[in-house]
Amino acid sequence: MNESESMDKVFSALANRSRREIIAMLAAGGDRPVQEIADRFDMARPSVSEHLKVLRDAGLVAERRAGRQRLYSLSPGPLRDLRVWVDAYENFWAGRMAAFRSALDEEP
Amino acid sequence: MKPGTYIHIVETFEHPPARVWRTLTRPDLMAKWLMPNDFRLEVGHEFTFRGPPIPRVGHDGTAHCKVLDFAVERFLTISFKGSGPQSLDSTITWTLEPKGSGTQVSLLHHGFDPDNPFHRESHRLMSSGWPGVLRGLGELAGSEEAA
Repeated sequence: MNESESMDKVFSALANRSRREIIAMLAAGGDRPVQEIADRFDMARPSVSEHLKVLRDAGLVAERRAGRQRLYSLSPGPLRDLRVWVDAYENFWAGRMAAFRSALDEEP
Repeated sequence: MKPGTYIHIVETFEHPPARVWRTLTRPDLMAKWLMPNDFRLEVGHEFTFRGPPIPRVGHDGTAHCKVLDFAVERFLTISFKGSGPQSLDSTITWTLEPKGSGTQVSLLHHGFDPDNPFHRESHRLMSSGWPGVLRGLGELAGSEEAA
């Protein structure tokens, strides 16, 4: 998947209020089971699972197995890419500094 | 320094100066966060940054630069010239300073002449924020309509 395609996925994943609310919940503290997310939003479990799948495909959410449960947490990478994208329009140097920060964090 | 003649940004990174220095000065990494280039860390080395053309500041996309001075993990100073006779002729200095286990980076880009319209526009593009972008988008939309 190239950069534009992955950004497409991030933007379309975020173009939904329930998914943004799930992200806000996971941002406050990760590793939540599906049931807990479903309870919080008064949503049927299958539709929460569907939202989580979209978020996962966009790289916004990570899944981890713990025994019989699947736990979900936020993956900050795409949100940081989003910030770089926005900052680039804010002004040249602020955008470059944001890109510098990403390059610095990525380099092993 | 007079307002409108420079841009100064200070940011702190959680990585040590050695790593910040490497990201700052390795040409392939520089290409990632700044622009494609043929930079080399060597005083007197002349190189270019290749970006998109910006006609309204008299810039064809190639910035002509030279390494003026550096001290490893401490600072790097380069000259940065636009491509037209009236375009930007400036100096950029990055200064690194250890801050705890991290690094504070100061960027000073100076040499903008407020009396030169191309310089004024360059300064605006490089520092002004959303109002400038929105005006730029308006101009872009206008030119697309004209095409």
